[in-house]
Amino acid sequence: MRVCFYFFFQAYDLLARARQSILYRDLLYNLVVRDLKVRYKHSFLGFFWSLLNPLLLMAVFTYVFTNIFKNGDYPMFHIFFLSALLPWNWCASSVTGTLGSIVNSGYLIKKVYFPRELLPFAVVISNMINYVLSLPALFFFMFLFRVPEAGDIFSPNCHHACINEHIVWLPLLIVTQVMFLVGLGFFLAALNVFFRDTSVLVEVGLQAWFFLTPIIYSVEVLKIEYPQLLYYLNPMASIVTIYRNIFYFNDANSPDPAFMLRTFIECGIILALGYLFFMRLSRTFGEEI
Amino acid sequence: MVHLANRSEAQEVVDDQNGPHPNTPRMDGVKPGRSGKIVSGTMRTQKVIKFSKVSKRFILHHERPRSFQDMVVNLFGLRTPSRRGVPLPEPANQEFWALRDINFSIYAGEAVGIIGENGSGKSTSLKLMSKILEPNSGGVSVKGKVSALLELGTGFHPELTGRENIFLNGSLLGLSRKEMASRYDTIVDFAEIRDFIDTPIKHYSSGMVMRLGFAVAINVDPDILLTDEVLAVGDEAFQRKCLDYISTLRRRGVTIIFVSHALDAVRSLCRRVIWLDHGRLIADGPAGEVIDRYLAYENEKHAERLMAEHESRPANMPALPTARVAPDEEMSAGNGAEPDMGPHDAEEPSFTGAASGHAPGEVQITGVTFHDEEGRQAGVFYTERPIAIRIHYAARQRVENPVFGLALYTENGTQLNGPNTRFAGYSIPAIEGTGNVDYTIDSLPLLAGRYYVTVALTGSEMTDMLDHKHLVDSFIVQPTPGLAERAGLVYIPSHWSFHPE
Repeated sequence: MRVCFYFFFQAYDLLARARQSILYRDLLYNLVVRDLKVRYKHSFLGFFWSLLNPLLLMAVFTYVFTNIFKNGDYPMFHIFFLSALLPWNWCASSVTGTLGSIVNSGYLIKKVYFPRELLPFAVVISNMINYVLSLPALFFFMFLFRVPEAGDIFSPNCHHACINEHIVWLPLLIVTQVMFLVGLGFFLAALNVFFRDTSVLVEVGLQAWFFLTPIIYSVEVLKIEYPQLLYYLNPMASIVTIYRNIFYFNDANSPDPAFMLRTFIECGIILALGYLFFMRLSRTFGEEI
Repeated sequence: MVHLANRSEAQEVVDDQNGPHPNTPRMDGVKPGRSGKIVSGTMRTQKVIKFSKVSKRFILHHERPRSFQDMVVNLFGLRTPSRRGVPLPEPANQEFWALRDINFSIYAGEAVGIIGENGSGKSTSLKLMSKILEPNSGGVSVKGKVSALLELGTGFHPELTGRENIFLNGSLLGLSRKEMASRYDTIVDFAEIRDFIDTPIKHYSSGMVMRLGFAVAINVDPDILLTDEVLAVGDEAFQRKCLDYISTLRRRGVTIIFVSHALDAVRSLCRRVIWLDHGRLIADGPAGEVIDRYLAYENEKHAERLMAEHESRPANMPALPTARVAPDEEMSAGNGAEPDMGPHDAEEPSFTGAASGHAPGEVQITGVTFHDEEGRQAGVFYTERPIAIRIHYAARQRVENPVFGLALYTENGTQLNGPNTRFAGYSIPAIEGTGNVDYTIDSLPLLAGRYYVTVALTGSEMTDMLDHKHLVDSFIVQPTPGLAERAGLVYIPSHWSFHPE
């Protein structure tokens, strides 16, 4: 009973804080714009790089996987790989970005009051925008280097790397990933204020995490007894699998609504817990940084 | 603008006359720990800031436990590993109470100054008001939009242009883009940077960054403006402009909390002053009264310090370095004079030329003391009374026609004057050994505040600086009983006359 009340008040507190942050939505906008602008500030092509950069990256992988390392099991392996790598890159850059978001803004935290949670949030959003901007390049490479066994890209009997109605899942999936990354970012950003070792550990952890996520393989290949366990413990595994179901596997393995719902709820819980943790710790940010 | 502010100040002075007046430097109830609260009878409206029993503690980590190793050590209650059997000293985490049981309320439209020495808790209380810090106990409640001028230009990103930074900084203070767009022109005009608005901030001069920071902070229409030593930086014209603008905001009804060491600025801007000392509230009341008590207390401390110094030094003057003989011998040898020549004759071969004849430290100003009309050393003086500034020198080498000079500064760093013996037509034939030179002001024209002294000693041509000590010491001026003028820096003897047509 008391536990119920506790959670009720925590939730109320959380929503009140979140509502206050909405008043600062223009700060979020400005922080995101700042991140995006500063990234390509001195380059000749400027913001155009946001589109060109993923195109070049994908060109490299496409060349490598279609000409050098051909994979017989997966036709158009470059799409198999890229559909998972792009959200992973978003995840990895968000993790490193959110990790330092509070510590590196000490000059602000100590001088101005504003909802501190916007700092990690802005990191995730600006990386999300970079992800979304890389999607046109992904579609471009889905057209190129098609093989006969994959089928025609728009036809109903397309097997691999197709564009079809499954794409409607994409916005919800992106929101799910934002929730997960923000929740995780809250934990890491707050923890890093008190224990600077966090950043070193996370560097190593990211490498391990990359291999624990089905990016260069798919979970079926692992032949593990409980694949569900991997999905539960690693939300990125679930998220990446859904991306791949949208962009690459387009037959029977289309996104499973139950799987999607479970992932969404899990990421929602991570967000709420991360926010609670962040709120608790953010009280002393002003003096600890 | 300014004369309006002065008029309200004059009103305050009348109020002050009714209250107890600090005629004597020694005041009862001024010692920290006893908090005398003076409640003024002005009309009060709505409480916007309320501190109730607020305490804030900082823990000074000598070795910051910021790593997992320390966390693990703490977790298992393990001691710090010892080296060669000798236990290392336990990292002492000292507690430091920045504020203790502070109670006060600030009402809408008030201009309140917070004064105190360094470490008294002034900045901590501002940070509590702006929610940057949270108190360890007690409650802080703040109503209305707060804009804090804790550091100008905070939040500017060097790579972004002035325009982009205006919007970024405005949103940090809680304004929407639309609201900022409507204030954009005012901000650019106030900061006087229209030509550079699309240049990245990193190419700005520090003055431009400060102007822009100030312009943004005051144009976000705050209900409460917190300023912390903002005016300690920037050129004088800009300081003036900022102070004027803060006065304008005050008249518009903005609540202003002004933390500063510049007591003259506090006096002219604030009606009410809160004096903190070591985290405790000493006094809270009308500005003039509290500042005078603060000065009296500072003065007492200064006098005690002087006494202590005096006692610890048997001779009034610091003795000349004992090595007086040796360098002179070397010098006489170098000059090719008779090697047996005693040190007292060493003056004979030289005056070797104007500028380069004196090695650094050979001739120096050893100190400055302040004396009252009876010649007693003091730290506190009164407007319209005499003061003598005594410059003590020690010349290991003879200097012909030296020129002594000094300069007085306000707490803001504004230079008030710069007299020297040569300008005054006062010639000193030569100095050698120790001695002193007095600069006497027969009637001190300065109003209450702390004033700093810079002293210099040059050769006859004033091109060779023999010694120069910037802001070497300070003295305090207290209001002379019966002198009603309080606003500003100087007392100019004058009179009024009335001529109706």
